[in-house]
Amino acid sequence: MPIRNVVYRQREAGQVLTDLSDYRRAGGYEALRTALTEMDRDETVYAFVRSGLRGRGGAGFPMGRKASFIPKDSVLPAYVVCNADESEPGTFKDRELMETNPFQLLEGITLAGYAIGAVRGYIYIRGEYEHQARILDAAIAQARTAGFLGQGVAGSGFDFDITLYRGAGAYICGEETALLESLEGKRGQPRLKPPFPAVAGLYASPTLINNVETLSALPAIIEHGADWYASMGTEKSTGTKLFSISGHVMKPGNYEIVLHDTTLRELVYDIAGGFRPGREFAAAWVGGSSVNVLGPESLDTPLDYESMAEAGSSLGSAGCIVMDDSGSIVRATLRLAQFYRHESCGKCTPCREGTLWLERILQRIVDGEGRMEDLELIESLAGRMVGRVLCALADTGVLPVTSAVRRFRDDFVHAIENGGVPRPEPMMEVPVGG
Amino acid sequence: MNAAAISAHIEPIRHEYAEGRSLILPALKYAQTEKGHLTREDIEAVAEATGFSAAYVESVASFYDRLYLQPTGQRVVSVCVTLSCMLRGSDELMERICDRAGVSHHGGTSEDGMITVQEAQCLGYCDHAPAVQVDAEQTRGPLTLDDADALVDELRTSPRPDELWR
Repeated sequence: MPIRNVVYRQREAGQVLTDLSDYRRAGGYEALRTALTEMDRDETVYAFVRSGLRGRGGAGFPMGRKASFIPKDSVLPAYVVCNADESEPGTFKDRELMETNPFQLLEGITLAGYAIGAVRGYIYIRGEYEHQARILDAAIAQARTAGFLGQGVAGSGFDFDITLYRGAGAYICGEETALLESLEGKRGQPRLKPPFPAVAGLYASPTLINNVETLSALPAIIEHGADWYASMGTEKSTGTKLFSISGHVMKPGNYEIVLHDTTLRELVYDIAGGFRPGREFAAAWVGGSSVNVLGPESLDTPLDYESMAEAGSSLGSAGCIVMDDSGSIVRATLRLAQFYRHESCGKCTPCREGTLWLERILQRIVDGEGRMEDLELIESLAGRMVGRVLCALADTGVLPVTSAVRRFRDDFVHAIENGGVPRPEPMMEVPVGG
Repeated sequence: MNAAAISAHIEPIRHEYAEGRSLILPALKYAQTEKGHLTREDIEAVAEATGFSAAYVESVASFYDRLYLQPTGQRVVSVCVTLSCMLRGSDELMERICDRAGVSHHGGTSEDGMITVQEAQCLGYCDHAPAVQVDAEQTRGPLTLDDADALVDELRTSPRPDELWR
């Protein structure tokens, strides 16, 4: 099995690391000590750049480059914001990190804070993760007591603290500027960019925003070196990536793999245990749901950023939802359209209205009231949403719909010609783990 | 909840934010723990404690799914219906929970006021699909249809937590 537990250090350690002493025994906080005593800020940023680490929340923007955008001469304080609003369908990798390895995240945020000269870090956690929030609360308290947060972090001259901020149920708050609005005590609606958060983010201050997994990878990069990290994967897809896999597979769960070393087929069949007897692969949404859906012809695609792009999709958050041939692609597409309709914040008209209409059109196809011209209507509607909105919700939310209509056109035509799609038998009462 | 209780919760953390507006969401979440939803009086108390107008505070509250401006049941059960859970039977689970609670298949609050059932978007518990969440504190799964009945029965008879974090 090509599993490599780098970020999932708790798995390598064979225990949850919610106690600071256990985390330290597993090598925790050595990276921070190294950075504070042996590296200056620029060297720390440069290590992030050389590692090739890309943002693990879904957009894949190089983390080190983002950190290098933070101006050094700002009169305003700089901040690190950790995006823990994990809400992308099929994505639950950050949940495990926060539940079982919270100090690694705190150490990563502190490293990022040191690198950009920040005064404080904020963790914006989705409201539904109250259990994980309490674990982080306890970890922050332990780190403060032990001197890893507060005045003079770990005996150095660097002052830094972390605040946990609870959201209250809104997918859009995972969009970085909506997150900042929410953190500022406003409705969580995206901002017009530019300015980008690196220049004017939280309280109009320079702000580095990264996902939980991205920040959790920083301690290993400093501890083992940027070259070591970059030696895994490919030139453009370095290091390891956490994959969440769910749906019709026998062993849903989180798996950490080296980018490019594993194909989608190996992930689905070898790692996640394949399907029930007699069932076959039908479709996968590999990067969460805000991506183009893939069919069986894509099974041999290596799992990395550039290969997924070549296959016509995106690695996204690596929340891989898999459906076997018992499922209905038309109903699955409707369900995702319902998700985006529900989660559109309503600020931009093309998204607010467009997501509603996509759902209605798909609903009537499922209900047997679809018309053949609906398939062209979906394309035309999606074309009027993309690029006419402030954020990626509509831009990427239309992808699972338009890609399904193109790739699985026969299924939609069949539904329109045959009175809709009955609800298939779900995969129930199969124990998790097969 | 009164403004003094809300102030006691937010004043110790005020120094963590450059702008006091950031305290509105923590204040609303805390105020909601008393009754499980926010009344007009709660909104006004949050306004007083944070120094913003009640109209503004309400405009913030109305944005978020997990801030309730209408009364809810003593416990709120959120059934995840997003794709991974749907493939594992969340629609059947939702219907069964609604039937046992005595509400329509769209969800709602049971007649005895004990349970509110609602659909939820991806709870990040897809490896335990189909999953449900009780308030925001416990996420459970995978649930069978029999488990669904047991859950509703359990919530009907279990004591209300001191604080309702939703």
